[in-house]
Parts: sequence; structure tokens; C-alpha cells
Amino acid sequence: MRQYIAYALALGIVWCFVSGEASILNFMVGSVLGILIIWSLRKLYQPDEEVPYKNILARIPKIATFFAILTIEITKASILIAKIVLWPKLDIKPGIIAVPIRATKDVSITAIANTISLTPGTITIDVSDDLTKIYVHSIDASDPEALKVSIRDKLEKYVLEAFE
Amino acid sequence: MTTAIDIIGNVFFLAGILFVFVGMVGLMRLPDVYNRLHATTKIATLGTFGVMLAIAIKAGFSTMGLKAITVGIFLLLTAPVAAHMIARAAHRSGAKMWTGSVTDEYEEDNKREKESQT
Repeated sequence: MRQYIAYALALGIVWCFVSGEASILNFMVGSVLGILIIWSLRKLYQPDEEVPYKNILARIPKIATFFAILTIEITKASILIAKIVLWPKLDIKPGIIAVPIRATKDVSITAIANTISLTPGTITIDVSDDLTKIYVHSIDASDPEALKVSIRDKLEKYVLEAFE
Repeated sequence: MTTAIDIIGNVFFLAGILFVFVGMVGLMRLPDVYNRLHATTKIATLGTFGVMLAIAIKAGFSTMGLKAITVGIFLLLTAPVAAHMIARAAHRSGAKMWTGSVTDEYEEDNKREKESQT
């Protein structure tokens, strides 16, 4: 129940942003709409599982570092892909690679998969059924080991710190 | 002060447009579904986000600025999911990978699983 209210208030803030008017009345309208939306979608997540708020607050700095690293990685990789695309001779070695992951929680696996997809040059294709591997399509798969190491050390480390 | 904000906004605007352009060139040049997804979803995401950021910087905390920030954040949240689903659907429906592709460990693992089941 507590989580319902927290989500509804978060949606209220989003409503303020989308409608472009930050007033108390608008926030309340958004929160009421948020309660309706969350109530109708309640089957999609387990509201019974209480997440302690203290944990979330303590993690905020780590989540912030994660997003900073993510921004840097995205920019670096975008420039790399831009170079590949604009190079006169098309020099790519694409392939799908199975990358082992250490994360066990659904949230962190989702975060890793989305991070990989968001970094240009790699797309997550699927997660193995036992949740130990994710399949990644890379535009440069000439060195699978290097890709695995870079995902493990550059991205997964921060995801684990932020969400596990 | 206003000129500084204008210049920063214009820099982001130009960078965003450049990345959108590169994404479109990539869509035409790269070979198969998966490689084209790299160009369009990612580079175009960064490009659109750059444009939105430019709008937010130029408009400040007005209605337009707040909306631009929200659009940018939702873009960053939804683009990878869409790319992932397109890639997975393409692979499952049997879209061939480009002949120059090096490995396909997904296909190998799928085959192994089918063999172990039968």
C-alpha cells in the first residue's frame, strides 16, 4: 500500500512535467490519475513486496555515478559508431555473443540489458532461461573476450553497486 | 549571460542534428536488421536527446523546457526496450544475419537446447 502511494506521487510529478505547469492543484490531479493507473496495472508488479525507503535513499549517490558513467559511455560509443558509419570503406565484423552476467535480481538484469542496448554498438537480444547469460549483438565482434570484459568491468560493476 | 546560454544551446542542437544525420546515413549503409538497429535507435536517440536538451537549455524552466526534458527522459527509457524487442523478434522469425558476421552464439545455444530436449 505504501508503495502505491509512492508510485502515485511520482506519477504526479511526471504529470506536472508533462503538462508543463508545476502547481499544487496540478500535482494533485496527477496523483489522483496516478492512483487510477497504478490500480489498473497492479497485477504487473508485486506491491506486497515492501521496499525499505532507507535503502533507496542510501543508493542515490551510486545510482548517480551509474548514470554519469552511462552518459560518458554512450557519448564515447556514439562517436565510434559515427566513425564506422561515415568511413568510406565499410569495415564491420558483427556477431552475437553470449555474455555471462553476475546479477541475479530482475531489476539489475533489466538495468544491465537496457544499459547494453543504450550503448551504441551493442544490442541485447535475449536473456537465457536460467538468467546467467545475455545474448548481445555487437557491431564489432572480432574479439568476444574483450567485449565480455568491457561489459563486466565498465557497465555491470556499476549496475551491481546501484541496484543489487 | 543570454548569449552564453544561446551558444551552449546551439552547440547541443548542432551535435544532436549531426547524430540524427549519422543515424540516417547508417540506416542506408549498414547491411542487416541488427546493424541498422545500431545506427537508428542509438545514434538517433542521442541525437534526439541532444535536440531536446538544447530546447530545455534555451527555453529554461518554462512549459516548453519541462516538456522537452520529459520527452528526452522517456526516449532514453523506451528506445532500448524497442530496439531489444525488434532484434529479438527479427532473430526468432529467422532474419538472416549479414554474410560478414563472425559469430552467432545465440543460434548455437538455441540448437543445443533443442537437441537436449529431444
